[in-house]
Amino acid sequence: MITLEIGGGLIALFIVLGILLIVALWYIGTMNTLRQLELKVHEAESGIDVALTKRFDMLSKMLETTKGYAKHEAETLEKVVKWRSGIPENATLKDKEEFLNQMNQVTSGIDVVVEQYPDLKANTVFLELQSAVANTEEHLQAARRLYNANVTRINHIIVTFPQSIVANAIHMEKKPYFEAEERKRQDVEFKF
Amino acid sequence: MINLQDKLNQFNQLKKKSERLVLIGGAIIAIGVIIILILAQQYNENAALIGFFVLVPGVIVAMVGGVEFSKLKKRFKVEVLSTFFQEAIPGTNYSPNAGLSQPEVYSTEFLKRADRFYSEDLLTGQLDDVEFRSSDVKLEERHVQHTRNGTRVYYVAYFVGRVFKFTFNKPFDGYLQVLESGSPLSNRGFKKVELESIDFNKKFRTFSTNELSAFYVLTPDIMEAIFELERRNPGRISLSFTGQELYIGINNNRDTFEIKMFTTIDQNMMEEFKRDLLVIKDFVHTLKLNTKIFKQI
Repeated sequence: MITLEIGGGLIALFIVLGILLIVALWYIGTMNTLRQLELKVHEAESGIDVALTKRFDMLSKMLETTKGYAKHEAETLEKVVKWRSGIPENATLKDKEEFLNQMNQVTSGIDVVVEQYPDLKANTVFLELQSAVANTEEHLQAARRLYNANVTRINHIIVTFPQSIVANAIHMEKKPYFEAEERKRQDVEFKF
Repeated sequence: MINLQDKLNQFNQLKKKSERLVLIGGAIIAIGVIIILILAQQYNENAALIGFFVLVPGVIVAMVGGVEFSKLKKRFKVEVLSTFFQEAIPGTNYSPNAGLSQPEVYSTEFLKRADRFYSEDLLTGQLDDVEFRSSDVKLEERHVQHTRNGTRVYYVAYFVGRVFKFTFNKPFDGYLQVLESGSPLSNRGFKKVELESIDFNKKFRTFSTNELSAFYVLTPDIMEAIFELERRNPGRISLSFTGQELYIGINNNRDTFEIKMFTTIDQNMMEEFKRDLLVIKDFVHTLKLNTKIFKQI
């Protein structure tokens, strides 16, 4: 009878230990998933930085070429961009969004200048740079989508119960999306 | 210059001749079988042999009809379809007896090596600066079954359909595969990519060696286009971007550009052949292979 009681107690103990082990494994697993996803979000943000830098470089070259035809206009456009030497290391995602919007403004401004200076339109170097800028825009779009897809995945886990318990415990908060407005040429008005 | 309808009439007449032979042969075989059954029942097995003397000529006549039809099929492809395809997509070369080579087919990296390989109906050409090659492909796997009576070897087809190869101007950064089922057959370090479209992820499995490149190629428009292509082309569809090439495989259990016995070659059949040809144009335009994303800048 006594043996049976001890056996029953032991079984209960093993069940509790088993449950605790499962919970611990689940906790570690969820934590690792969150950490890995956070790393992916950071990697994707680096991808955005690379694409933004590439686009900034191409736009700078375009502005240099434009100066040969429309110096005043090109200099006015240059002033639109806040960071003249690219993205600073401590820039936040909001800063980067603003930087992108400024570059969109510059690109639209260049389009307006091109309309006014047909010679510029015929410049082969300028045309090549225009294609290169379009290409960097495609890459930026891809980087933005990759970043936002990763953010969606991690945010989904962060807000879903019971994973949200782990997220709270390791102080992981919802990640912001990289919002960027599509470049709309007709919305931009420039007074050179 | 004979017009298309006259040519179709001419081939229909020749086709009828071979079909008649097959029908006559079939009828003789049937009579032979009946004689065998009756004689075997009423007399003995030796008497049934008479039926065999009727049956054998029937088999020969049917076989002659079959061979005639097979020759006609080849002639039809050379004499009618080649010109017909040239008119539908100018610059298209059609070689009915050739097909994509084995290295080309296995370069898709989603089709495994076959024990038996067949390919035919090769189409080559250029469309909006995009080079294309396509052919019917049949891949078979060897199976061995050990039984009490011995060993039986048989072949099972695991891919029957078409393989397309497009070469565009811009090298693709990394490797990308979009598959309705299965996984890439290579050790390039493919990783599964989750795109932002839940529906797309449900329908297709995306693998890439470079996640960013996958997002670069698979824009929302292209994802929608792949959905459309899948809807328009029944069967399992697979896409593989490698270097400068895009490979597409459709496993639909179909043998394209074949005339059928006892079916008249008419405008409807010709339209079907045209639709099968224009799938190439559809791929180039729907997947925007002719646009700047795939062109060198």
